Amino acid sequence: MPPLPSGSVGPTGHTEHTGHTGQSHQRGSGHSGRSGGSGGFPGRGLAKGLAVTLRTMTRRSVTDQYPDAQPELPPRSRGVIALLEENCTVCMLCARECPDWCIYIDSHKETLPAAEPNARARTRNVLDRFAIDFSLCMYCGICIEVCPFDALFWSPEFEYAETDILELTHEREKLREWMWTVPPPPALDPAAEEPKEIAAARKAADKLAAADAAAEAAAAAAQESAGTTPPPGGEEPAP
Amino acid sequence: MTTGTPTSSTPGSGTRETTVGIGAGAATELGTSDMVLNIGPQHPSTHGVLRIKLRLDGELITAAEPVVGYMHRGAEKLFEARDYRQIVMLANRHDWLSAFANELGVVLGVERMLGMEVPVRATWTRTLLAELNRVLNHLMFLGSYPLELGGITPVFHAFHEREQLQAVMEEASGGRMHYMFNRVGGLKEDLPAGWYGRVRAAVASVRSRMDVFDDLVLGNDIFRARTRDVGVLAAALVHAYGVSGPIARASGVDFDLRRDEPYLAYPELADVLKVVTRQEGDCLARFECLLEQAHNSLDLADACLDRLAGLEPGPINTRLPKVLKAPEGHTYTWTENPLGVNGYYLVSRGDKTPWRMKLRSASYNNIQVLGELLPGTLVADMVAILGSLFFVVGDIDK
Repeated sequence: MPPLPSGSVGPTGHTEHTGHTGQSHQRGSGHSGRSGGSGGFPGRGLAKGLAVTLRTMTRRSVTDQYPDAQPELPPRSRGVIALLEENCTVCMLCARECPDWCIYIDSHKETLPAAEPNARARTRNVLDRFAIDFSLCMYCGICIEVCPFDALFWSPEFEYAETDILELTHEREKLREWMWTVPPPPALDPAAEEPKEIAAARKAADKLAAADAAAEAAAAAAQESAGTTPPPGGEEPAP
Repeated sequence: MTTGTPTSSTPGSGTRETTVGIGAGAATELGTSDMVLNIGPQHPSTHGVLRIKLRLDGELITAAEPVVGYMHRGAEKLFEARDYRQIVMLANRHDWLSAFANELGVVLGVERMLGMEVPVRATWTRTLLAELNRVLNHLMFLGSYPLELGGITPVFHAFHEREQLQAVMEEASGGRMHYMFNRVGGLKEDLPAGWYGRVRAAVASVRSRMDVFDDLVLGNDIFRARTRDVGVLAAALVHAYGVSGPIARASGVDFDLRRDEPYLAYPELADVLKVVTRQEGDCLARFECLLEQAHNSLDLADACLDRLAGLEPGPINTRLPKVLKAPEGHTYTWTENPLGVNGYYLVSRGDKTPWRMKLRSASYNNIQVLGELLPGTLVADMVAILGSLFFVVGDIDK
């Protein structure tokens, strides 16, 4: 590149800007606000800063002594992915939805002998390999979100650094081990909708209660119509 | 000196002085010549891999050229092969200090294309989280900028405050930086019981310590001497280069999308939202804008919490079809990210992936103005100016 003549840009820019080191206190009067540096006695800004430092010195240190003291992590913390392989049906949704395809699944089909003499033999998928490469994983949690059978969970565990990158591919045994560290999900905000599981359970319970109540009512009606115990002050049942 | 070999004069000969040299500097009286100095891509003051090619005349910068792209990851191309949930994962990574705001632009765009109504609790919680994210981002720069100017204390204070906000962000989303909490139609899941209370406590705690930056940094005479009237950015340059965010507002450009094209719940927060502006356009003004904006964001977070406390119970997301497809068409969504205007131009052909998704990131435009800002300043001021442009290299290189 052609070198510029040293005088071409310099003087205009130079005179405009070099004054700041010596003259800034006189020139820049436009700044206002919370500052303490411009007003008051000289060095007031430094004194206020030192006051902050002194105040901080009287406070307890907030440093966590990490390897000695473990951090308290919330249950949603995305540390490592755990696999409950008993729940896995090898549907491959997690591997397909993973944005960087770091889940490896191998499986084979197994034919189950027919349970009854006339029934057809059933095939089912058997998991051979389930591995997550944590050197690729972006910790987005999409695999856990899409799993329809609750086989994947977040665990807040994070201490699995390795010296060899290949070791970061956790196979199914290791992923199963992480299951023991999965915390229960936190209770939801009172304004939240019920979790799906509770809503489903409530629906089932309501249905059962309604059926029970109906059966009871039917039984009571049957008793009444038999006329064994007429209710006190009650009406005669319609014929 | 790299260009030219100024073997000027022959000392000791006594009889005759000759000036021999190549380059413009050799011919001048001082005998200096231009030097090209690379700042970065690996330089401690450039946070990340931004490279700036400086041409120097002595200590004076005569030309500056930001060389970007060392961390280009092809985010836009990757968007084209990801569905809208996977895009959220990618989008929150280009500016890793504004992850929530980045996610927001994507989902707002898709929601607009779908004509989707977002539950009111989701809208207010998103606003709250966006403002917390803004405070987190600003605290980072409030701490790192003094660090670049030689004061190491403020960054410890900044990280203490950041830690409290990150704790509530992590409790809600599971992540400390890449929240991955936005989904098309709302948020990923509802918030843990008692979370809003803990946010209020964290906001109050951070606010109670924000005066540290007023007293320790902004009032510091040395800090003011190094930043006042340094790197003055004219409003005309702001417009010419598309500079946005606190940097633009520090030059008197009164533009904030939260007020001028409100999204989320910002229309209802107009009385709390204060668009912080300064007229000076120097490094100090930029820092002041950032600081005051962080104060205002804490107020906004409190206002959101007040509103959320009075809301009816309800859902926080929308039930989505198994395969989510944005209808054919295009839309441009821009949001006021902590560092400036962040826009997504989403073109869909009705597939489950976008046909094209253009990313307009704040730092990319903001950093271009360095070519105009640096010439005429001294090398010593370069770090002050560079740091005051508050950029994230991932946001530049995408």
